[in-house]
Amino acid sequence: MTKILSVRDIEYRHFIKRGLFGKQQIFTLGPISFDMYKGETIALIGNNGSGKSMLAKALVGALQIEKGEIELMPDADAPAEYAETQVESPAKGANDDSQRFSVALPQEARINARKQDIRMILQHSADALNPALSIGTVLNQTLKLNTKLGETARREKIEETLVKVGLLREHYYFYRHMLSDGQQQRIALARALLLDPKIIVADEPFAALDPSVRSQTVNLILQLQKELGLSFVFISHNIGIVRHISDRVIVLDKGQIIEQGVTSEVFTNPQQAITQKLIQSHFDLVEKHFAKL
Amino acid sequence: MALLDIKNLTLYIDIGGDTVKALDKVNLQLDEGEIRALVGESGSGKSLAVRCIIGAIPEYWSIKADRITYQGQDLLNMSYEQRRQIMRREIAVVFQEPTSSLDPSVTIGEQLEESIPPELIKRGWFWQQNKQRKRIAISLIHRVGIKDHDQYLKAYPHEIPIDVSQKIMIAMALASEPKILIADDSTRGMESTTKTQILRLLEKLNKTKKLAILFVSHDLLAITSVAHSMTVLYCGQTVESGKVKSLLKRPLHPYTKALLDSAPSFQLSLPTKSPLIALGGTIPTLQHLPAGCRLGPRCPNARKECVIVPPPRSIQDHTYSCHFPLHVPEKIAKRAPKLSRGLGADD
Repeated sequence: MTKILSVRDIEYRHFIKRGLFGKQQIFTLGPISFDMYKGETIALIGNNGSGKSMLAKALVGALQIEKGEIELMPDADAPAEYAETQVESPAKGANDDSQRFSVALPQEARINARKQDIRMILQHSADALNPALSIGTVLNQTLKLNTKLGETARREKIEETLVKVGLLREHYYFYRHMLSDGQQQRIALARALLLDPKIIVADEPFAALDPSVRSQTVNLILQLQKELGLSFVFISHNIGIVRHISDRVIVLDKGQIIEQGVTSEVFTNPQQAITQKLIQSHFDLVEKHFAKL
Repeated sequence: MALLDIKNLTLYIDIGGDTVKALDKVNLQLDEGEIRALVGESGSGKSLAVRCIIGAIPEYWSIKADRITYQGQDLLNMSYEQRRQIMRREIAVVFQEPTSSLDPSVTIGEQLEESIPPELIKRGWFWQQNKQRKRIAISLIHRVGIKDHDQYLKAYPHEIPIDVSQKIMIAMALASEPKILIADDSTRGMESTTKTQILRLLEKLNKTKKLAILFVSHDLLAITSVAHSMTVLYCGQTVESGKVKSLLKRPLHPYTKALLDSAPSFQLSLPTKSPLIALGGTIPTLQHLPAGCRLGPRCPNARKECVIVPPPRSIQDHTYSCHFPLHVPEKIAKRAPKLSRGLGADD
C-alpha cells in the first residue's frame, strides 16, 4: 500500500466569543497526526463538537491550519493532462521519490495541488448546488477554475463523470429542482470526482439521505473506490455504515484523536470510554432488534 | 378501543392546476399505551399524516377520510375550539428540527413556562403562580433527564446542543400531560449515544405514564428497538402494518423487505465493503405518481396486475397491500380477507 497523505501535528484554534464582554473560549483542534494510504477508507467518529468537521475542513484546505503539515505524496502515474496546472515545482528534477509538495512548492501552489487532489462533499448536497444554474454550468465552473481544458474537453469530461456516477449525459441540462435527493448527492460526488482527486473528504454524506437512497450511495462509493482506487475520509454518526465501509476509524474527542485503528479491531476491542459508549449504544440497539426476531 | 383511529385518510393537494393525492387511503391506529412507529422515507407523506392529525394544514388542501377519531370523538367534524382543546391538552407533538421550532429570541425557561396550561397552576397571587410555574418547569426538565436546570433554563435555543433542545421539546410537549405524544423524526442526525438516550426516555415515559407514542422516523434501528408496532408508508400509501416482531420476522411487502435490507447493521453475515441490497430508483415526486401500487416501477416482483391499487388484506393483525406478498403462497394471499377501501373509492 502506498502512502498518499500524511498529516503531521496539525493544529487549529477556533475562537468563540459570546456577547460583547463575554469570556473568550478557545477550541483547539489537534495536534493531530495520521497517515493515509491509497484506496483506503477512514471514518471519523466522535460526539458532537469533537472537531470532526473542523478536521475535514482542514484537510481540504477550507481552514488555514496554524501549525503542522499536511503532505500529499505525488503520484507516479498522475494524469498528464493536469500536469500543467499543477504549477512547476522547483524540485522536479530531484530524484527523491518521496518528493513533498509541502517542501518543494510555495504555499500557494501547495494549496492548489491540494484543491485538486483532495475534494470535499458537503453534508447537504442540495444546498451546495446553485438553483439558478444548470448542473452543466455548475460542474463547468469547477473545471474552468482548476484546469486549462478547452470547452469541448470540459464538456466531454463532465459527461464522462456524470455517467461514472450513474447519471445520464442529459443531466448536463438539468437544474437542481429537477433532481431527487439521491441524484443531487450523485452530482455532489461528480463535482468531487471531476478533477480526478486522490482523496475525497465527505462530511456526513449519508445523514440526510433515506435508507434506500443511502444504500445506493454507499454502493456507488464502494464501486468507485474499487474502480478508481480512491481514498475516502468520511464523517458519520451511523455506526452501522462506519462498520460496513471503513477500513480504519479515528475517534475524536475535544479536538484530539483519542483512538485510531483498524475498524474491526476498534469495534471489537474499544479502549477509550467514549469509543466504548459510542459503539456499545449502537450495538445495544442492534441486539434489541435481534431479540425481537 | 383505539386511542387514535384513522381510516382511509386521503389528502388532496393542488399543484399547478392538478389535484394529486398526497396521501392515498392511509390507515393508522394507535392503541392506548402503545408505541407505534410510522416508517417512511422523505416524501412518503409521514409528516403530512402528522399534520392531518393535528389539523395544521392549509385551507386549500382538502382532506377526505372515513374517520379520524380521538377516543371516539370525530376530529374532522368538531368545532375549531373543541379541536384546539384536544390538541392543547391531549395530543402533543414534537416537531422535526428542534432548533427551528424553538423561538430564538426567548429563553428556554420562558418558553417552557409558557407551555404549561393554566389549569395546572393553583390559584394564588401572581408571584405565587410564577413560582409554581418555575417549579413545574424544573421538574419537567428533570423528568426528561437534564440535571443541570439552571444552566439551560436561562439559555437561548442557539446556545444549547441539539440533543438537549430535542429533550426540551419533549419536556414542552409533556407539560400538558398528554395522552398521545407524536414525535416527528426526533432522532434524525444524532449520534448513537444521544439517540439511545432519547429512545430510552420515550420508552420510560411509555412505561411509567402509559403514554401512547407515535414515533415518526425512517431510522429502522431506532424503531425496532422501541416500537411495539409499525406502519410503513410509501409515497402516501400504507404499505404494511402490524406488530414490529412479525414485520421483522416476515415482511410481506417487498418495500418493507427492501427497507430492512438497506440497514447494514441488520445483516451480520454481510462481509464488510460488499454492496448493500438496494431498490433501484428513488421515490417518485407528487407530479409523477405511477398508477396503481406506487411502488410498481421500483418493485422487483411487479407484474401486470400492479397497475391496480392492491386492497389492504390482513393475516392475523398483519395488514399488507400487495398483490404478490412475499412468504405467502398465492392461494392463501388471494383468500386473505380484504379490508374495505372505504366509500370514497373513486379510482
